[in-house]
Amino acid sequence: MKDLHFILLLLRKEFLLEFRTRSAISGIFLYVISTLFVVYETFIKIQPNVWNTLFWIILLFVAVNAMVKSFVQEKGNRVLYYYSLLNPSHVLIAKIVYNTLLLLVLSLLIWGLFIFFGDNPVKDIGLFLLILFLGSFGFSVTFTFLASLVAASNQSSTLLAVLSFPLIIPIILMLVKISAHALRLIQDTAVSGDLAILVAIDLLLCGVALLLFPFIWRD
Amino acid sequence: MIEKGKIWKFSGVILIVYVIIAGLLIPLKSGIESVEPSYGNAGETLKIQVTGYNTHFKEAGNSLRAWLKWENGKAIAATEMVALDERRMNLTFSIPNNLPENTEVQAVTLLIDSEADGTSVLPSAIFLTQTEKVLAAEEVQWVKPGDFSNNGQITFPFRNILGETIRNTYFHVPLWFGMMFLFLFAVIHSIKYLRKGDAESDLKAEAYTQTGIFYGLLGLITGALWAKNTWGAYWSWDIKQNMTVVALLIYAAYFILRASFEDPEKRARVCAAYGIFAFSTLIPLIYVIPRLTDSLHPGSGGNPAFGSQDLDNTMRMVFYPAVIGFTLFGFWLSSLQFRYLRLQKLREDVD
Repeated sequence: MKDLHFILLLLRKEFLLEFRTRSAISGIFLYVISTLFVVYETFIKIQPNVWNTLFWIILLFVAVNAMVKSFVQEKGNRVLYYYSLLNPSHVLIAKIVYNTLLLLVLSLLIWGLFIFFGDNPVKDIGLFLLILFLGSFGFSVTFTFLASLVAASNQSSTLLAVLSFPLIIPIILMLVKISAHALRLIQDTAVSGDLAILVAIDLLLCGVALLLFPFIWRD
Repeated sequence: MIEKGKIWKFSGVILIVYVIIAGLLIPLKSGIESVEPSYGNAGETLKIQVTGYNTHFKEAGNSLRAWLKWENGKAIAATEMVALDERRMNLTFSIPNNLPENTEVQAVTLLIDSEADGTSVLPSAIFLTQTEKVLAAEEVQWVKPGDFSNNGQITFPFRNILGETIRNTYFHVPLWFGMMFLFLFAVIHSIKYLRKGDAESDLKAEAYTQTGIFYGLLGLITGALWAKNTWGAYWSWDIKQNMTVVALLIYAAYFILRASFEDPEKRARVCAAYGIFAFSTLIPLIYVIPRLTDSLHPGSGGNPAFGSQDLDNTMRMVFYPAVIGFTLFGFWLSSLQFRYLRLQKLREDVD
């Protein structure tokens, strides 16, 4: 119960910080809109199989850009203050939850803009929403943890992309495969198996990240 | 005398030397390379020319026997056998009017047995077509192939597409096994570092990762050469090929991460954490995803490694020593690399 209390407090702190320094979040929103605009300017008409890949690639780049700053503010004296006060797992869980919610909102925004500019190729909306959540969670776990690793270096955004893109491949392959189902591009009865694998990968990475984070955080 | 601590290094080298000698010198079992023509019709007298590999048709003389076998177990024996030379032979079969299966086109297996070569099998050697059933069925002499000869030689199995490249099994596959063991040890040392904070564990993890990548590259190169000879191209965008490149990219990023930190303690901690995290994504990458997609590799769609049919007992006699030998050799390389890194660090500290 006490854990939950701390996590909720930290989550509130994340929201407050984001709300007070609105420049970061508005930057990300603008990034999404201009990317989508460029995509439609150049493609004009997007086939469903291209749409499928494009959607997840755009979300991937948005996620890197949104998440690289996760630990940048947590530097110097403030870390020392947190360190004396908090349990590292709470910090990581709060960040992962916050980033998952942020990514979920961003992915809904991307989807909405895709519908606004073109049309909606998604046939199975429930399944697609489910994998939006699972994908946001998997991206959030991987990027948040890696952002905590690279926060101390001075070229963190390049480093984050280099480290995370190969690591994200298992997740993104599963996402593209399942979302092809939601778009009715392939007919296959093994969706539940694929979903189980995606959940397993997400949970595995989340567990490993939670185990390792206390070691990183201790500075 | 060899010191106790060095025995494993010497046994690794001895095993590799054994693998190279045995793996390259033991001959391939005789086999059937091709059959011309590879199709026929029900009711005709089919004359085919067989080209063998490592065979001794002339030498075999009267001990030669040949059958065509259907999938349901029925078989007919050759009516005439003429050996042209050691590798080529003419066979004549009188194909029955009514083929024993119900499909229009039926694939039959060719079996050749002789005292000189033992038994050779070519599955789906000939496709027989039955346009219509003949009502007045003639008496067919069905036989049961059996009483196979064994020439008692030690050989590796003959596989049609693989041919001599089957020997690559002793290099390509053990290198992957070795790589996984090396990465596993790198993770163990990373965990050790995070628990104890001992700088030597960090260097050991780095050394094991370096040799692991080296083994991975060798595995990729041996695999590409093998693919060129069997699948026709160095790179076929096979799922396992792609996933291995991803795995190597993950570990290449490890060194970029190492290079971007100045403070040695911070670097060690971050790299140990990344190493463990990377290894845990390797599990879905190498063991889960390739099973879901079609692959040109053996055992795709369910079974990631080989089945029992891919290795026979002679191959096991070389394959298992190869796995152990290459792994031990990898550990030796890592310990040398570790000592080099330690000296380098000492020199930096002195400067």
